[in-house]
Amino acid sequence: MKTYAETDTLDVIIVGSGAGGAPLAARLAQAGKSVLVLEAGPKFTPAQYTSDEIEAREIYWLNERLSGGRNPQPFGGNNSGTGVGGSMLHYGAFLPRPDARDFQLHTETGRSVDWPFRYEELLPYIEEVESFIGVSGPAQYPWDPSRQYAYSPPPANPAALKMRDACDALGLRHADGPTALITRPFNQPYFGERQGCVSCGACHQGCRNGAKSGTDNTWLPLAVTYGAEIRPGCFVHTIETDQAGRVTGVVYKQNGQDIRQRCEKLVLSAGAVETARLLLHNGLANSSGQVGENYMTHISTQIWGEIDQEVRPNRGYPSLTITEDMMRPKDADFAGGYLIQSLGMMPITWASNIARGSTRRGADLVRTLAGYNRSIGMGIHGDCMPSPENRVVLSDEKDHFGIPKPLITHSYGPNELAMHAHASRLLTRMWDAIGAKDLRILDRAAHMMGTARMGKDSGSAVVTPYGQSFDIDNLWISDHSTFPSATAANPALTIMALALRTADAMLTH
Amino acid sequence: MTNSSDFPPFLASDHLSRRTHDILKERLEEDSSGTPRTLSSTAFSVLDRIVTVLLPQEEILGQQTLNLALRVDRALSGPRDGWRFAELPSDSQAWEQALLTLNDLSTSQFERPFSLLEDSAVAAFLDAMGEGKVGLDTPNRLNPSQMQKWALDLRADVIECFLADPRVQDRLGMSANLNGGDERFQGFETVQANERKDFEPATKISSAA
Ligand SMILES: Cc1cc2nc3c(=O)[nH]c(=O)nc-3n(C[C@H](O)[C@H](O)[C@H](O)COP(=O)(O)OP(=O)(O)OC[C@H]3O[C@@H](n4cnc5c(N)ncnc54)[C@H](O)[C@@H]3O)c2cc1C
Ligand code: SF4
Repeated sequence: MKTYAETDTLDVIIVGSGAGGAPLAARLAQAGKSVLVLEAGPKFTPAQYTSDEIEAREIYWLNERLSGGRNPQPFGGNNSGTGVGGSMLHYGAFLPRPDARDFQLHTETGRSVDWPFRYEELLPYIEEVESFIGVSGPAQYPWDPSRQYAYSPPPANPAALKMRDACDALGLRHADGPTALITRPFNQPYFGERQGCVSCGACHQGCRNGAKSGTDNTWLPLAVTYGAEIRPGCFVHTIETDQAGRVTGVVYKQNGQDIRQRCEKLVLSAGAVETARLLLHNGLANSSGQVGENYMTHISTQIWGEIDQEVRPNRGYPSLTITEDMMRPKDADFAGGYLIQSLGMMPITWASNIARGSTRRGADLVRTLAGYNRSIGMGIHGDCMPSPENRVVLSDEKDHFGIPKPLITHSYGPNELAMHAHASRLLTRMWDAIGAKDLRILDRAAHMMGTARMGKDSGSAVVTPYGQSFDIDNLWISDHSTFPSATAANPALTIMALALRTADAMLTH
Repeated sequence: MTNSSDFPPFLASDHLSRRTHDILKERLEEDSSGTPRTLSSTAFSVLDRIVTVLLPQEEILGQQTLNLALRVDRALSGPRDGWRFAELPSDSQAWEQALLTLNDLSTSQFERPFSLLEDSAVAAFLDAMGEGKVGLDTPNRLNPSQMQKWALDLRADVIECFLADPRVQDRLGMSANLNGGDERFQGFETVQANERKDFEPATKISSAA
């Protein structure tokens, strides 16, 4: 890997190496730009990932966040990762495309907001991401027959099979979901050999054989091949500007030392909480007053139940079956829609969801835990609207770098509550239909979006539809903080596609 | 103390990676008789009493139960999981204050320390905490709304510490850690229901079968 000196002025510095930072780093490096990616987390050795869910916390973002509101969101394992590869080191690799209608929800329903461009504009980038990183999926995707996936799906585990039965019973269409993993070995350009998925079930603890398509085994090696440097263990805390207010560089902490690095352009890809925290802490790019505002999640209601079979929910790719039939349910009393996916799960993650989502105790709790090997689940990802109630602000408490810890306020509004209620009823009917017993609905939210939204109007958005700050022309944002609304699809594909689009815009500006 | 009889056979499997093996083995050998590191002795005695009612271990582990309260105490002074409820003080403070809140309430309502309460009284506290009905509006104690949040952390931490132990995993027949060795990363060749492979532990307690 090429390395740059501390005295060098880079064409571009990117903060964060996840879904937003990595594709952009690759694109800009390929175009001949000098690129440095500063990543707070370490570089991991995939073969050394452990399925032990306590030790596997090493791939979570562990710098403490304060969680408030009526629906305080658990972070840690639930919501963000760290390390060279970002949250995609431990993401679930479920990779549906966003629904075109979700980009125009305001036009459709008079509620939420429209994205500043149409889905069709993002589609070429989506296709490029899918073909470059490797995605498996069915030969025929019921909701979009024109689509093709390069890899066949991994084997279906019992939860996936039971969800198919439940869909059949209720007349819903179903398919193997698009998953960001490869099912046969592939020599990934610029990286090397990746093995096919072996159904180990521990995607959230890190994939040990390269089957899961992350940024660490795709975009980042491409970026490095074209001269980018990825510098791990570097926590950026200060963004420096000149008298005209333009960014001149950043200061980061590495091994206890503050190091300054200068750049022509800065891209923030630190994720919806950390990007907002950096901007708020530095008092930058906030003439709109929107930095940190409109924090969003996905409504991620789950159902769990037991069947009379030993299913061992840790085995197999966890969440294979999908239905998109609830993207616009006919009986909806809410705007937008949701996807449903089947769920297997590793035991401690599963049990802590039960711990937080039920009041069981004593013999009842013991019996529930003992039912792990018979448990099958399903979960939704539902669209979430921007709301002035939900935000990231700086708290009064400092972290070990001396920077205020972020305080995240998250409360469901009427639309989210209605969607959660709708999904709870449907999931219950589905699991009832296949005879699952001891049903438990878990009320939870996942993912994070918003806090630096894109838009056409500098009064109500932080960045342009291409991710450029309205206030500072050499500051860009490429991560899920730019989402104007959540959309129902799991976010990584949209973030990566947006990153390529932002990179192209940076190259033409 | 461990003896060979409680050394789960799956630890010798080549479906377990060396690193995971070492993590589990170290956990297995954790001293169960030490003193608390994070909590005061009063707070610890409350925790010790609560865990027996929240999660009675005998059905799963027989008489060889874990010192769960001690494990939770140790976990509290180790790396945490990256977030906390905004309403609560730092984790170690929140746990100390929550447990002392329970002790104060026990003393005022039952005229004895929490550690001497009957199971039914402890259970009633657990339920009432979950409903937001237990707490004190005094300094260094948690109010009912804070106690309700903390009760979730309590439940999660106790259960996590329990399931992290390889003996518990073995008794419950969990194969999650047997997802691949170093020589060969096997994964699971079968993911079908009712097809346990020999390397996977069978379930050993009746309610899990
Ligand atoms: C458990 C889990 C499961 C998920 N499952 C799915 C899924 O199945 N499908 C899907 O589409 N999405 C999934 N996601 C979400 C997806 O992983 C994220 O939305 C996506 O990775 C976010 O991309 P990002 O670039 O915005 O941020 P991240 O990928 O989080 O990257 C941000 C990076 O910036 C670094 N960073 C932060 N602050 C600083 C700083 N100040 N200085 C330097 N570096 C910094 C962080 O260490 C991190 O590596 C999942 C996420 C989690 C946590
Ligand atoms: S299930 Fe497949 S993709 Fe997921 S971690 Fe295991 S091998 Fe990798």
